[in-house]
Amino acid sequence: MPTIFIDGREIQADKEQTVLEAAIANGCELPYFCYHPALSIAGSCRVCVVQVEGRSWVEIGCNMPVSDGLRVLTDSDLVREHRAAMLELTLLNHPVDCGICDKAGECTLQDYHYKYNGKPSVSVDAKVHATKYHELGPRVILDNERCILCSRCVRFTREISKTNALGIQQRGDHSLVRASEDGAFERDAYSDNVVDICPVGALLSRSFLHRARVWYLEPTPSVCPGCARGCTVQVWHRKQEWKLHALDPAKNTRIERVTPLDNPKVNGPWICNKGRDLAKVFERPRALQPMLRGSPVTLDAAVAAARDLVAAAKRPVALVSSWGSNEEIAAFAASLGARFAGFVKQDHVAHPGDGVEDHLLRRPENHPNCAAPLARFPAWNGTLDPVADLVLVWGEGSVRLPEGAKVIRLDSYERPELADADVFIPISIQTERNGRYTNFEGVVSAFSRCFAKADAVADAEALFAALATRSDREAAA
Amino acid sequence: MTADHILPIPSAELAALRSRYPAGFASSLVLPCLRRIQELQGFVADEDIGALATALGVARVQVEEVLSFYTQYRREAVGRWQVAVCRNVSCSMRGAERVIEACKHKLGIDVGETTPDGRVTLSTVECLGSCGTAPVVMVNEKYVENVGVESVDGLLDSLK
Amino acid sequence: MTFAVTATSHTLADYRARGGYATLEKVVRSMQPSEVTKEVTASGIQGRGGAAFPAGRKWQVVNLKDGQPHYLCANADEGEPGTFKDRWILENAPHLLLESMLIAAYALEVRNAFVYIRGEFDLPYRRLAGAIEEARAAGLLDAPLFGTEFACDVIAHRGAGSYVCGEASGLLTSLEGKRGYPRNRPPRLTVKGLYQRPTVVNNVETLSNLVNILRDGAKAFRAHGTAKNPGTRLISISGHIAKPGVYEVEIGYPWAKFLDEDCGGMMNGARLKCVIPGGISTKVLTAADIASLTLDSESVEGAGSSMGSGGMIAIAEGTCMVRLLQVMLRFYHHESCGQCTPCREGMGWMHRIIDRIVDGKGRPEDLDQLIRIARMNDGTTICGMGDAAGYATVGILAKYRDEFDYWIEHKRSRCDGNLECRPFS
Repeated sequence: MPTIFIDGREIQADKEQTVLEAAIANGCELPYFCYHPALSIAGSCRVCVVQVEGRSWVEIGCNMPVSDGLRVLTDSDLVREHRAAMLELTLLNHPVDCGICDKAGECTLQDYHYKYNGKPSVSVDAKVHATKYHELGPRVILDNERCILCSRCVRFTREISKTNALGIQQRGDHSLVRASEDGAFERDAYSDNVVDICPVGALLSRSFLHRARVWYLEPTPSVCPGCARGCTVQVWHRKQEWKLHALDPAKNTRIERVTPLDNPKVNGPWICNKGRDLAKVFERPRALQPMLRGSPVTLDAAVAAARDLVAAAKRPVALVSSWGSNEEIAAFAASLGARFAGFVKQDHVAHPGDGVEDHLLRRPENHPNCAAPLARFPAWNGTLDPVADLVLVWGEGSVRLPEGAKVIRLDSYERPELADADVFIPISIQTERNGRYTNFEGVVSAFSRCFAKADAVADAEALFAALATRSDREAAA
Repeated sequence: MTADHILPIPSAELAALRSRYPAGFASSLVLPCLRRIQELQGFVADEDIGALATALGVARVQVEEVLSFYTQYRREAVGRWQVAVCRNVSCSMRGAERVIEACKHKLGIDVGETTPDGRVTLSTVECLGSCGTAPVVMVNEKYVENVGVESVDGLLDSLK
Repeated sequence: MTFAVTATSHTLADYRARGGYATLEKVVRSMQPSEVTKEVTASGIQGRGGAAFPAGRKWQVVNLKDGQPHYLCANADEGEPGTFKDRWILENAPHLLLESMLIAAYALEVRNAFVYIRGEFDLPYRRLAGAIEEARAAGLLDAPLFGTEFACDVIAHRGAGSYVCGEASGLLTSLEGKRGYPRNRPPRLTVKGLYQRPTVVNNVETLSNLVNILRDGAKAFRAHGTAKNPGTRLISISGHIAKPGVYEVEIGYPWAKFLDEDCGGMMNGARLKCVIPGGISTKVLTAADIASLTLDSESVEGAGSSMGSGGMIAIAEGTCMVRLLQVMLRFYHHESCGQCTPCREGMGWMHRIIDRIVDGKGRPEDLDQLIRIARMNDGTTICGMGDAAGYATVGILAKYRDEFDYWIEHKRSRCDGNLECRPFS
């Protein structure tokens, strides 16, 4: 283990590390644009300069191997001078249109400028202009003027998603990041990760474009339910203290964007595009009104009616949600598991392009919680016992029901069948509660509540206990 | 289903080129192949890009990048004669700027343009490595050296 | 190295008549690879491409026993403005290069060697390709040599128009079929080069000296030139000189004598104003500066410049140095590969500043700004191109700042913006 010294401080480094990596691992501040821990070294931004003690010049730290006894300075006058110069040159042709740029507030260039330079440009010559709103497809937009040519996006498509979808055209200060002309970028299932790793506002998400300033938003950790990988994500929504004064309350309870939550055990710093579109999944029209055969009732009335049905049933069958959390599954098993013949239903069936397995993250199973439901109940084969007299349908999915059976539906999203159920109780969705999923490798990840649920909506976890009689609970224990 | 685009390079020639290089050097063939396509066809067509990438087993974007990085590649047809005048230091010191003006005047076009009859495309280039015989003009692939203003007319007239 | 060129002097037959391939045979039959490297190191020959790195020291890094492929690449990209001497070798002595490359390949355990030749060089390429065909037919390439197991093939590989592919790592990346982006070191190319294998890149002229060195020995080589800078050099001289061309010069030769006698002095009876010693990336020296200098690194570096690539440009009185710098900065801007921040942004900025000065809209602070940008590119870039533009700029401003001040103040050149050779009157 080589010992190095950063600004006089003794650091135990790994022999495979570079000075920049050793600095980052030990909390030493060294700015950088083109370096990324998951990508190859480019060494092109020239911002991570350090000075080896005794030398009269600076060198980049991202490509400097550690060696025993190496002494570097990250804050000498020479380093500061050159670092400020590199930032000045990075900004030379940058449009500085932060006023209309989505990245403002989370922009590395902004942060570094104020921290390490702070001076206005001394150039009196016109900036080089380039394309401003270049569509890299329906999901990502590129502003070449803001681009600092760090090549992170190009390296991402080459090394991580392996689509080779991005490259750099031309040369010099006319260089332009461009997608390959065969549309490979639009087909890249991980394309939106380039928006995260772009240090500036050059690559932006089109669904988030001009939607909200990031300082009005906060992220809540969650888990993507799109497949059995269970990538951890950040669900962004407006901060309470910055809520919009609007007539429509939905504006303050919507998902503004979804980004990865770095997780070395599951997804690293990436998610697939499907995870970015979770708002489309979570914000479908909700079913919020408890009903008895289509007639609105209070939640208490619906629960009481359901409890009666459960108590009276002789052959109750439950179709358990494959999107249920560990806690919900355990609660169901504890309260109703003994009474009901339970089967795990596929809430979502894969449609074309879905349900694939690839070299990176995606799994063919279309639900987030692999192990928990199937550890306790068998998979549903699609048919129901014709003599079942009560079917509890928990979660989404179309089900053909036996004649004469009573039906209790627990669901969150509007569908016509809910009005046909004997009892319909609306239940909360993932973003309205805390819970955990276990992915296909057995890794458990937690999601947290982002939004409050509506009053008439029940939490399935508490609901199951309420549906069971005392003897049911004792039997299940 | 459309047929796969066939490269202008005869497959026997491509195979010979491939075997000339060591194993594992298929990527190195990008530049020589693009040059050959251009020799045969005058320019590299859009369809050639994917076909070449497939033939060599490289990413398509690599071929696109190479085409735009190097100055000698063209993705569109140009005039029958490409007249490229060096305007770097030694050539400028021996009158290249006046040679360029004379060419523009004689052909009636500006630098970067092609004569209406498709005969000549005029361009300026950087140092050609022939500074001792400046000014130097590259006509298609040949160097024409010691080009003075007085020899411009004769040179351009000789390009049929 | 040089000789009187005839219509056939580039052919194998003529080359053999001059003693060609006899040294290769001697080396392969009677020397170990490490002995060859030792001889090259002892000769002290420095790179002739511009960087002047000792060739033997470069070769020594290659581990002959690592069991992996090694590659040798002759740098025939010759793009440094003012330089055209490698072209002489390619057109007139291609077999000298081939024999030298085989000697190097033998020393470095190389089985596949390349000549990366700039795309614009057509006749040089055809002469080289012809020589390669002759050599293959004669069993010299890609065939076991002189009863040993050593065999090496040489491929002539053409570039496509990029100055930065003359930088060794940019050259290799181009040889791999990509954009000619130079690479950061570490790792050195002699450790990880072409396709991440140990690779030696040497300039054409550097390599072409090997036959001499191995034929007559390091000591004989050192009998010419200076102690620190042995041998002879090919100087390509152009500009306002009466007899431009390629000259073989013993290193240490008096500079003024070279210009006045060997090169015929200035054309049109003009007076010498200044000289660019070795390609536009070297700092300009005035006529007064060079009066007592000799053509070797010590002397030239002592005056604050460098022998560089040997591309000398003689500039007559009456030449506008502002416009000359403008041509240079336009070149660097055009050739920047765009990879690293200081060069990519800096070259464009310098070019725009000088264009503005020439346009009559210069400001007094522009000159210090040019120097400042040059400093931002000094030692901070991936390759030497950013530094080179800086040297050219700082060199001209150091000697001729008054011409720039004049243009900024009066919005025009002091000598009509003239670049051509005015007769001395």
